[in-house]
Amino acid sequence: MISDRNKKMLNKTLFYVLMLVLGLIFIFPLIVGFLFSIHTETELSQIPLKLFTPNPTLENYAKVFQSVPIFHYLKNTLIVCVIAIIAQVVISSLAAYGFVFFKFPLKGFLWTIILATMMVPGEVVVITNYVTIQNMGLVNTYPGLFLTSLISGTSIFMMRQYYMQLPKEFKEAAILDGCNDFQFLGRIAIPLSIPTISALAIYQFVHIYNAYFWPLLVTNKDKWRTIQVGISYLVTGDVEEYGKILAAAMVALLPTMLAFIFGQDYIIKGMVSGGIKG
Amino acid sequence: MFQSKKKDLIQRKRLRVSPLPYFFIAPALVLFGLFTIYPFIRTIILSFTLTNQYGNPTKFVGFKMWQRVLSKAEFWDTILTTLKVAGITLVGTFLMAMIFALLCAKPVRGGKVYQTMFALPMAIASSPAAAIFLFVFRQKNGLLNSVLGTSIAWLQNMNTAIWVVCFVTIWLHIGSSFIFLLVGFRNVPDELIESSVLDGANGWQRMWNVLLPVASPQIFFVLFLNINNAFKSFAQIKLLTQGGPVNSTTTLIYYIYKNAMINGRFETACIQAIFLFLMIFVITRIQFALEKKVVYYQ
Repeated sequence: MISDRNKKMLNKTLFYVLMLVLGLIFIFPLIVGFLFSIHTETELSQIPLKLFTPNPTLENYAKVFQSVPIFHYLKNTLIVCVIAIIAQVVISSLAAYGFVFFKFPLKGFLWTIILATMMVPGEVVVITNYVTIQNMGLVNTYPGLFLTSLISGTSIFMMRQYYMQLPKEFKEAAILDGCNDFQFLGRIAIPLSIPTISALAIYQFVHIYNAYFWPLLVTNKDKWRTIQVGISYLVTGDVEEYGKILAAAMVALLPTMLAFIFGQDYIIKGMVSGGIKG
Repeated sequence: MFQSKKKDLIQRKRLRVSPLPYFFIAPALVLFGLFTIYPFIRTIILSFTLTNQYGNPTKFVGFKMWQRVLSKAEFWDTILTTLKVAGITLVGTFLMAMIFALLCAKPVRGGKVYQTMFALPMAIASSPAAAIFLFVFRQKNGLLNSVLGTSIAWLQNMNTAIWVVCFVTIWLHIGSSFIFLLVGFRNVPDELIESSVLDGANGWQRMWNVLLPVASPQIFFVLFLNINNAFKSFAQIKLLTQGGPVNSTTTLIYYIYKNAMINGRFETACIQAIFLFLMIFVITRIQFALEKKVVYYQ
């Protein structure tokens, strides 16, 4: 006979297993992508397709690294990510600090302007921004790729929210001790906000690394493509080698997938503070 | 005496307008000005001009281009497609995210494993995702056709292409909705659930009377988030269907891209961009207006 306690345990285990199965079904596209990326091209052109190949191979990955400039794409993407993330951290920290710790004429008006810009989605101005970048002669350059990602409303909101909960006495005490604003910001406010900054950085990394529309517009040479755009040209290209495409896709999605798995608490923090204020 | 003098000095120091705060906020304002405010105004100006192939204005023509764009049936079809895609993805994403979030509402030891799986696609870029789904849905040697033993052109068929695009969009966006809803449900205080159990409420009653009302700000937010996401979905359309067949998956954002980058009609793209802005703006206004009436705040 099963005791009540054992029955409860059994139910719990069963629920857990079912949820795991549901989760696996949900991420099945990713599993499919991986499993077929280790097939040979011949196997991929034989119907019916088998989910598990009897002789898994990494030859598609080898082909990606040899014939696709994937490390170059990754390098471009990482340069853009690093510059944009550093800029977002610095510029949004400064702006948030200015709005939280100072009273000054036109403060309300300037804050309204920032709120108003958040009402304009990037997609609405993407074409005119492209014209601007083109007129500046910055198509196929790093500045062309990163200039529009140096600031975002989300970042300012996150930093502002952090500074607002920082006790005002901290600053008063620091000023009395002879700190000026830059010293307070550099030695106290920013070091204390490292968790918030990490959240912002990981959140923006996923965002900027995954960007597709903008880098598609401002690059037309292979040398300048980011990883997302590079992958997309494999897909739309006239290729029969789908194993190679799947392998390249797996490489492309790995960095943000890992960033999410290990940094999800930070990413969620970023999402929630950027999204809902309540 | 000395004390009050010092106080006076501090007071005066406070009253004097310091340039410092402007220095702090200037970089952000300059960047917003250059890449949001300026292009927004320029978009409006360009919509009243003719442009050359570089997108620079050549001639002021008033509302002529507006008339031309708005009188095209293709344009209104695009708006309709955009709303259709938004509607389908909204329903699909919301229902799935809701089911996942309700199943995860009660924290379970080790539950983070499957929660991570439900949220994971939000970190997956749309272009590698499109590559995988193209392999699944393509006609020749596609996975789905192989499993079903069929030879259906899922992406070239008017009736199926839009559903594939929506399916991919839903899959990409369930994660973020799931997280927002989960945060909402986890916010429900334990005492509230315990007291409802003591009052004899069953699972359904608890969901309707406790979980959903308390999480209503998040639920509400997620509904509008998904409409917005659908309006902005681009890569999956560009890579899976290129807006086809016969424009059946051409949403406003893809139409804007096509007009500007493929046809070189920047003024047309600008008018459509203004429409995209207006659609998102109206939705956001409705959201704010309804939020006050519908949402239950503790």
